[in-house]
Amino acid sequence: MTATQGRVRPRAIGTPLDRLDGRAKVTGSARYAYEQPVGEPVYLHAVQATVARGRITGIDTEAAAAVPGVLAVLTHRNAPRLADTRDAELAVLQSDAVAFRGQFVGGVVATTSEAARYAASLVRTTYDTQPHDSVLRPDRDDLYAPESVNGGFATDTEQGDVEAALASAAVTVDQTYTTAMNHNNPMEPHTTVAVWNDGELTLYESTQGVHMVRSQVAPLFGLQPDEVHVVSPFVGGGFGSKGTPHAPVVLAAMAARLVPGRAVRFALTRPQMFFVAGYRTPTVQHIRLGADRGGRLTAISVDAVSQTSRIKEFAEQTAVAARMMYAAPHRRTTHRLARLDVPVPSWMRAPGECPGMFAAEVAMDELAEACGLDPVELRIRNEPATDPETGRPFSSRNLVACLREGARRIGWERREQAPRSRREAGHLVGLGVAASVYPVFWMPGSSATVRAGAGGRYTVSIGAADLGTGTWTALAQIAADALEVPVERVELRIGDTAFPPASVAGGSSGITAWGSAVVHAARRLRETYGNAPPDGAEATGETGDNPATERFAMYAFGAQFAEVRVDEETGEVRVPRLVGVFAAGCVINPKTARSQLVGGMTMGLSMALHEESHVDGRLGQVANHDLAEYHIAANADVGDIDVSWIDEDDPHVNPMGSKGIGEIGIVGTAAAVANAAHNATGVRVRDLPITLDKLLGDPGAGNGPAVRRR
Amino acid sequence: MEFLRPATWQEALAAKAEHPTAVPIAGGTDVMVEINFDHRRPDHLLDLNRIAELEEWETGEDTVRLGASVPYSRIMAGLRTELPGLALASHTVASPQIRNRGGVGGNLGTASPAGDAHPALLAGGGAVEAESVRGSRLIPIDDFYTGVKRNALAPDELIRAVHLKKATGPQQFSKVGTRNAMVIAVCAFGIALHPDTRTVRTGIGSAAPTPIRAKAAEEFLAAAMDEAGLWDSGKPVPPAVAKQFADLVSGAANPIDDVRGTATYRRHALGVMARRTLGWTWQQYRDHQGSKSCA
Repeated sequence: MTATQGRVRPRAIGTPLDRLDGRAKVTGSARYAYEQPVGEPVYLHAVQATVARGRITGIDTEAAAAVPGVLAVLTHRNAPRLADTRDAELAVLQSDAVAFRGQFVGGVVATTSEAARYAASLVRTTYDTQPHDSVLRPDRDDLYAPESVNGGFATDTEQGDVEAALASAAVTVDQTYTTAMNHNNPMEPHTTVAVWNDGELTLYESTQGVHMVRSQVAPLFGLQPDEVHVVSPFVGGGFGSKGTPHAPVVLAAMAARLVPGRAVRFALTRPQMFFVAGYRTPTVQHIRLGADRGGRLTAISVDAVSQTSRIKEFAEQTAVAARMMYAAPHRRTTHRLARLDVPVPSWMRAPGECPGMFAAEVAMDELAEACGLDPVELRIRNEPATDPETGRPFSSRNLVACLREGARRIGWERREQAPRSRREAGHLVGLGVAASVYPVFWMPGSSATVRAGAGGRYTVSIGAADLGTGTWTALAQIAADALEVPVERVELRIGDTAFPPASVAGGSSGITAWGSAVVHAARRLRETYGNAPPDGAEATGETGDNPATERFAMYAFGAQFAEVRVDEETGEVRVPRLVGVFAAGCVINPKTARSQLVGGMTMGLSMALHEESHVDGRLGQVANHDLAEYHIAANADVGDIDVSWIDEDDPHVNPMGSKGIGEIGIVGTAAAVANAAHNATGVRVRDLPITLDKLLGDPGAGNGPAVRRR
Repeated sequence: MEFLRPATWQEALAAKAEHPTAVPIAGGTDVMVEINFDHRRPDHLLDLNRIAELEEWETGEDTVRLGASVPYSRIMAGLRTELPGLALASHTVASPQIRNRGGVGGNLGTASPAGDAHPALLAGGGAVEAESVRGSRLIPIDDFYTGVKRNALAPDELIRAVHLKKATGPQQFSKVGTRNAMVIAVCAFGIALHPDTRTVRTGIGSAAPTPIRAKAAEEFLAAAMDEAGLWDSGKPVPPAVAKQFADLVSGAANPIDDVRGTATYRRHALGVMARRTLGWTWQQYRDHQGSKSCA
């Protein structure tokens, strides 16, 4: 048996260990990027474009430069030339072109943050403004098909004859669904502290991957990777927006070049996070389902439209979940993009699955209604024996168990099949269900080093990230079990490029990939040195390849249920209960896992009811670019969230038997809420978010000719 | 920006006289937001937090003199009998932290149509005590709101207190928001029954350029109740009367479409809230009448 194979015997794994970094965080001694001690730092404030498209014709920095404390004013005229400008999002200040409103056009470095910010407000820029186009509309004639979509998936797929199957189907659903533009809004803003010493760059960065930052920033500045040092021990959330470098880190590194030896501190303001830190594209999804009278799907068709920026393509993989979720012999999926004068879209928690499963799972609810079937039963009837797209068996697939357990927990038997038939104290009450799914991605390329110390202690090093998710704790539990020692004897070191390479915390793959490398390293140490290695003995392991990924389709599944209460007269909607049951393999730490899933479902609730970035087409910008107007769910909006998981043993995914849990919690929540709202009111809301006025619509109006029964 | 920190009320008035454009700040729940957003950058901020008497109230025979800076959390805890409508409205302000900081003086100074206190103040009735080095005056609440975020204060005046009529009957407040806390109202409605004068007063928030009363609705309801002898009989308000009242409240509004809601939705919701709060207050009145006749 090689070191990557064979299961780790769980001892610490599976126990609800308190966060090892918890004390440091609640006492405020955990240092985030901005708080790193760096001598006498100076401060950077960005200058942003005030037009959505055009060219800079003049940029007057005189008043800014005259502000006491100002050390430098950066513009495209004096900014360092980058060695590599192929990534236009990162080619900061390399030309006079403005591609979207809010794009960086300059920056001010000063001895205080106040002086920098004030001086930045004095920079006067004039533009040759060109007409802009910033609002996604699906009826444009210039939509285009990208070469592939995010994650490297095919843009379009087709199996069988969808049109013929739809034409002959006994029951069809043909509807269009939309999801809103959402912004990630982690608590901690995007932050960089940059310092140049002897031609090398050190970045204290709030990031989902220190090695990812190193590998992407180094070529911009013509450096070798080992000339860029990235440090990020603690991160206050990212949700994907810190998963790839955006413009801020480049601007900070440029600014630091002007003051060698001094650290430049740069944190985005909350409003700036709505322009230069990524976001979830709005989507428009045309879904057609065909089924027999018993609800068995014969055809699935999803045509997804989303937006990208003119300078850099990002193609949300909205329709990929529809390729594998349910059995149907005939299916097609397409992705089309509108290229707009907008900031660059990027990852936000479960890109693809999150918006895609909203539309697909509401469509399934509509199909259940059209067939007169219980929506849980409809999903069970459409369970595929193997992955419908590849024909491979699932390494484990326990959606049905999740549906049944969730139904039990929410009291599904009390659900009235007919909408708008349960009233309690002036409220219409309904229950809804949706399925969740998230792929198990195998990310190669991580290494870990295990070093034996005195007294049976071990130091485990890997350049992994903890976004607040619990890596510090869960990875220590894995290392302890791989070494067969108590957790107390493991010292974990992560969040620094001084440690071995680690893949980015993305695609819910972190613990899977890093844990596999740690296990490999621990086993190698044991193979070489036995159970009592000498002080200083060291072994390195890699994530390596998992041949099982070629043989099996690997996914985590879940079922989400919602109870929704709607004020019959005002349309005010409350969600007193959410139930989520997940099948995600071995759960490393039930305590931090529960937090991840509760957090994902809360974010899904927020997506369902609140989150919407309103683009003002005249200005070409998000109008509600702050947390006063961009609503996320408040404490008072969140009722009881019941999270559980079923025992699932998956021998194929990795040595821990674990699947990622960072993203699946948000997948399906919004659909469960929308479906429950329909069960409560009879109003089918197909456009997120579900606001008061939408629920006052004509009950049943949405169930017109688009659902056909023969 | 100069930051003025008067130690006494007299010093505050003197500072406002000297710097009429100075922006008073107490809880800061409106002013700090505007400064953060760069919506305003006043030459002078006038900090009223050292002036203890602004955080006190006095209860007289018929009125409560409520200091401008008494925080909402203390109104909720201490004045629910005297000022039930305002106490209910205070419950819906933002979050516990903000309710500990903000007070009615700030709502009045900002005079936003969305201020949560306004419908209750209009419905309960009262007057704003404005003072300057020139002297003190009472501005009836009905005359206080003069335009979008404008009020009847002279540039040298500060709000010392509000004089609010102690409730002589039930009062209610209702608000619709797009989330359950920390939210600017889509629209809000306050109602107060005044059995002593056999009148009903109302207040509408977030549905017109200023907070307003629905006077036609009030007059209709008073006449209908008088005619039917309801104040004496305590009989239920006939549904047709309640509906007409609700329709008149809807009609009094002059709302706009914005990201929080459409004008149509606001009119609809106001009608619902008017009918509901009338029902609640009238039931409270009847319960009270019943308990009196039993005693």
